[in-house]
Amino acid sequence: MVSRLNPAWQRKSTSSSRLAQISARFLGTTQAATHGDDVCRAIPFLLDTPEQHWITDELGQILTQRGHPCTLCSPSEANPIEHSFRQAQAAEPPGSDAYCLLAVACPATLLKYGVDHVVLLVPASLGGIRDAYQRIKLLSQHGAPDIGIVLVGPRDQHAAWRYFRKLAVGTLRYLDVPLLNLGFLPEQIGPGQDAEASHRHNFLARISERLLRSGFYSTLTMTTPRRNA
Amino acid sequence: MKLKIESAETPDREQLRSLLIEATEQLSGAGTNILETRLRWDGQPMLLADANLHPVLVSFEPEHSEAALLNGLRGVEQLCNALPWINQVYESLQQKQQPPKLVVIAREFPPGASAVLRLCPGLSLYRYRLLSVNGEIALWLEHLDPPPAMLAGQESAPRQDAAALPQEASNDILPPLTDAESAYFQQL
Repeated sequence: MVSRLNPAWQRKSTSSSRLAQISARFLGTTQAATHGDDVCRAIPFLLDTPEQHWITDELGQILTQRGHPCTLCSPSEANPIEHSFRQAQAAEPPGSDAYCLLAVACPATLLKYGVDHVVLLVPASLGGIRDAYQRIKLLSQHGAPDIGIVLVGPRDQHAAWRYFRKLAVGTLRYLDVPLLNLGFLPEQIGPGQDAEASHRHNFLARISERLLRSGFYSTLTMTTPRRNA
Repeated sequence: MKLKIESAETPDREQLRSLLIEATEQLSGAGTNILETRLRWDGQPMLLADANLHPVLVSFEPEHSEAALLNGLRGVEQLCNALPWINQVYESLQQKQQPPKLVVIAREFPPGASAVLRLCPGLSLYRYRLLSVNGEIALWLEHLDPPPAMLAGQESAPRQDAAALPQEASNDILPPLTDAESAYFQQL
């Protein structure tokens, strides 16, 4: 019987190289943490511009409020600079519920880390999703991490879905990379708008919920002491 | 009073660091704040904030100018990537997200210094001498002026922010789209 699926939704056949990638990822030897390193659950974010840092800042605060102590980490392997949202917990070692958010604007930096999960903050525009596609293409050529998408600035839920679908169909069709829809932040909300704070909080809370529920994190080692603001 | 000035021995890294801490306003102007006297990056540079709230990375080596320059460039790349967090951690930057600047100091200017200066507008190069003035140790800093062509270019063309460089570099390595992919992303 001939497939009636839209060609856009048809996945490429599983190739031996893809199987090799999967095998290497799940069966390969993992790098052991050296003595004195902190092993932490890191959620890597690939920002479209550095100005998007407010999103990760507020997500960190929300995760902390939800009982997951959260730190922000710089991308430097040699000396991660971390900012604790809760100074009272600064002296505590990272527990099982703790996360650190790693936000960078340069895909090459993430590639150096070898992370296996990445959240892309994607502007809701044709150019934005085209750029995101190129970044995903680059990431998929170096380790194929799981990729989650947050659309930034769509008019409403329907527009967010249209942009996500366009990107997800493209990555599945041409790269064989499925995407996880982590939510969106509509155009009406932004940093520093106190009147929209609760509205913004709701959208970010939904994203944090999806991150937690899907176990979307990488395990990284941090080699330096934590820094508190 | 009669001044007795003579050259002093080459300092070690920590002596040089102490002298540079006292000379921060000479390096990045009046109103400079010291954010970190020792970052645990290659070369253990210092981090300052100038009066315009730019983070200023000071990379120095007592002897090896190439190492100071390379460590500094690497550090600036890390700073660019970490700019949101740097701004959050150091309140004196007031969340302005200004692009970082780089100051490189060594006993001599690095090879190709003029060309490097021409290509990196956020870079300042200094060489130093250690002097003994009436028995007191003093630091003498000589700034390498940018080439005239660069000065003329700055007047006629908008200055490129240092922070733009890593972004461009990252875009350079993005894989190109095939014809099919380009066609697919032509419309929503």
